[in-house]
Amino acid sequence: MMEELDIRYSFLSDGQYLRKWLKNEEDMRWYPVTDIKEMEDMAANWIGFSKFRASLTSVLKNEVCGIGTLFLMPYKKVAHQCMFYMIVGQEFRRRGIGSSLLKNIINLAKNYFHLESIYAEIFEKAPIIRLIEKLEFVPIVYQDKYVKQNGEYVGRVLYQKFL
Amino acid sequence: MLDVNIRLTKLEDKEYLIKWLLDEDTLKWYPMSDRREVEHASTIWMSYINKEAVYTAEHNNEPCGCCLLYVSNIKKFAHQALFAIIVAKEHRGKGIGTALIKKLIDVAKDEFKIEILHLEVYEGNPAISLYKRMGFERYGIHKKFIKDKDRYFDKIMMQRSL
Repeated sequence: MMEELDIRYSFLSDGQYLRKWLKNEEDMRWYPVTDIKEMEDMAANWIGFSKFRASLTSVLKNEVCGIGTLFLMPYKKVAHQCMFYMIVGQEFRRRGIGSSLLKNIINLAKNYFHLESIYAEIFEKAPIIRLIEKLEFVPIVYQDKYVKQNGEYVGRVLYQKFL
Repeated sequence: MLDVNIRLTKLEDKEYLIKWLLDEDTLKWYPMSDRREVEHASTIWMSYINKEAVYTAEHNNEPCGCCLLYVSNIKKFAHQALFAIIVAKEHRGKGIGTALIKKLIDVAKDEFKIEILHLEVYEGNPAISLYKRMGFERYGIHKKFIKDKDRYFDKIMMQRSL
């Protein structure tokens, strides 16, 4: 399967896949979106980093199946590190696509942008934690009650990796 | 303690914010490093005026400090907010920071129904003692968040419940 997986720079038009995936109710739980307006805003902001070639798209048999993006920082003093976001389409999971995408994001951060560390802000108990930990990201910050959805509080964890 | 009046910020206050930030001893505690970056950050700061989430402290009708509540548009985050604060260098140590934070706490709680107020500060910043005094506790540290002239500084993250 993995031989058929291609990873390319994202296009602005890949925003349509983010919008489609983030609309999924199950996935919405793990991202800062609650409704269509928030989802549209997030997708636009996210895919906007493709203009800087800071976003990668996984393509399997000509089908877009995942997007991972470095949210580059706008100021010089903080430009040596950044946060990233990624998502894999529901129908493409458990095939190593996320792992491959994240490895490429790490490579992009290290070798193209010369970043020294990257981090992810993850809602507590999000399924992506398994992958993040497998690739040796370390939890550095836990903030209780950062998220409030459906009247319930969820913490956030920042996972960092020095490159 | 200096006699200060705290009012909603006006767009005209932006020039003071830029002037305060461009002071070298002040700017080292913020992520910006030049005029372009300061103007960019100040524009974002002032964009919260529309939400009535920015307050200016003035003494003798002259602005001497400003604070901002980053009220989130994201519903899941609407119960908590990050804030930023600045006091003009010549007016530090006169209780203005304390007055601004007290105002922020009241506004956050009463107007925005915020439950958790949090902040980010760089290691070594003298304001940390003020934050501790105001009830903020450290919940995390982001190592090497700032790189200034090849020297790294950690970002300390603090919060308090309202």
